[in-house]
Amino acid sequence: MSEAASNLLAATNEDTCGPYFPIYFADPALEDLTCVDPGLVAQAAGTPIILRGRVLDRHGELANGAILEFWQANAKGVYRTPATQEHEDIDPWFHGYGRLRTASGAYEFRTILPGATPGRAPNITITIFSDGISRVVTQVFFDDQAGNDTDPVLQAVGSDAAKLIACHDGRTASGAEVYVLDIVMAGPGETPFFDDLES
Amino acid sequence: MGTEGRILGIGPTDNTSDQRTPRQRLRLIPDAARESFVPVVPARYATRPHEWDMTRTGPDRPRADGVPIEVTGVVRTESGRPLAGALLEIWSANHHGRYRHVEDHSGLPLDENHLGLGRVLTDDAGCYRFWAISPGAYLARPDIGRWRPKHIHMSISGGSSRLITQMYFPDEPNNASDPMAILMGDGFERNIGKPRDVGPADVEEAFDFDIVVGGRNATFFE
Repeated sequence: MSEAASNLLAATNEDTCGPYFPIYFADPALEDLTCVDPGLVAQAAGTPIILRGRVLDRHGELANGAILEFWQANAKGVYRTPATQEHEDIDPWFHGYGRLRTASGAYEFRTILPGATPGRAPNITITIFSDGISRVVTQVFFDDQAGNDTDPVLQAVGSDAAKLIACHDGRTASGAEVYVLDIVMAGPGETPFFDDLES
Repeated sequence: MGTEGRILGIGPTDNTSDQRTPRQRLRLIPDAARESFVPVVPARYATRPHEWDMTRTGPDRPRADGVPIEVTGVVRTESGRPLAGALLEIWSANHHGRYRHVEDHSGLPLDENHLGLGRVLTDDAGCYRFWAISPGAYLARPDIGRWRPKHIHMSISGGSSRLITQMYFPDEPNNASDPMAILMGDGFERNIGKPRDVGPADVEEAFDFDIVVGGRNATFFE
């Protein structure tokens, strides 16, 4: 252990959320980032999209009870962080953090298409919690967007890049462009996941 | 920083862990993308005033069966900074080991005075406090007689800190065979609540459980 690391407190171990994350904790405002709350005259800027798909286990079965969290830039490519509070392109009606629990393993998240940030293709970071695992993370991209060819994350995964690219399914639903991505937790077709503790 | 990503462990005797744990080594995040992997949860005050007391379903209702406990602690990052205004979402089984969740089909008894749901915010010093019923252990794998030890689930989110963990109890007979405890190895000790004097609180047992949210994400904006 390095000298610097020895000054750090030992972290509490991450643990599985188990199968019974309370549905009571669901927050509709975190499942649809296009509107702040029903009834308010407030709407995020940008192209509404629906990202949908399935979370699948090693046997191709739906991974029921998974929690998905989403993190993305606004339509102008700005993340809302402590460092960007005064940024001129902050959207007051968009914070970029979403969360849902899927009972069945099929998910649908309504948001706006993230803008490109410098050097990056538009993407959404997805954090997955479920019974049997602790937190795992990845990023999803969009098949009709410029910049995928030169994005460092897609380049880093090489021939697995297609597993991180959501495909436009050729239609709109309720005024939103629909993109589809299945997340394969393990086994054949396994989605590439990233290590934000060792990176 | 490591030179390669981790291979995640699979919890022994945990079928769901076998089904859902990624088998490939986790990929390292390229430097140019590292900051984009730091979600910042907006400050949310999604709590109701009575939710700190999980020993009742409401302030005007009787106590649930079992041993009422108090849990207190401080939430910090690895560098020691207290995490103020963080949301703790807490859930646990009742005295009999049953969750009041539509997907818990164990058939164990429900308790009309127990929900097993709580939410609290940390104060400016990162401190939190809640009351709960000491949860029952339950038989997770009847085919091999493997139990889940008593535990309380806790989800912590605030700023770039994000952690889902469980608080276990000291000297429980089922701790040693728990799949997740086995994966934690010697570090399991950090996930056990420390008994302390109850003091004036109207509970029968009290535990300190300090939480450290690890990793670079939690300290990214310090």
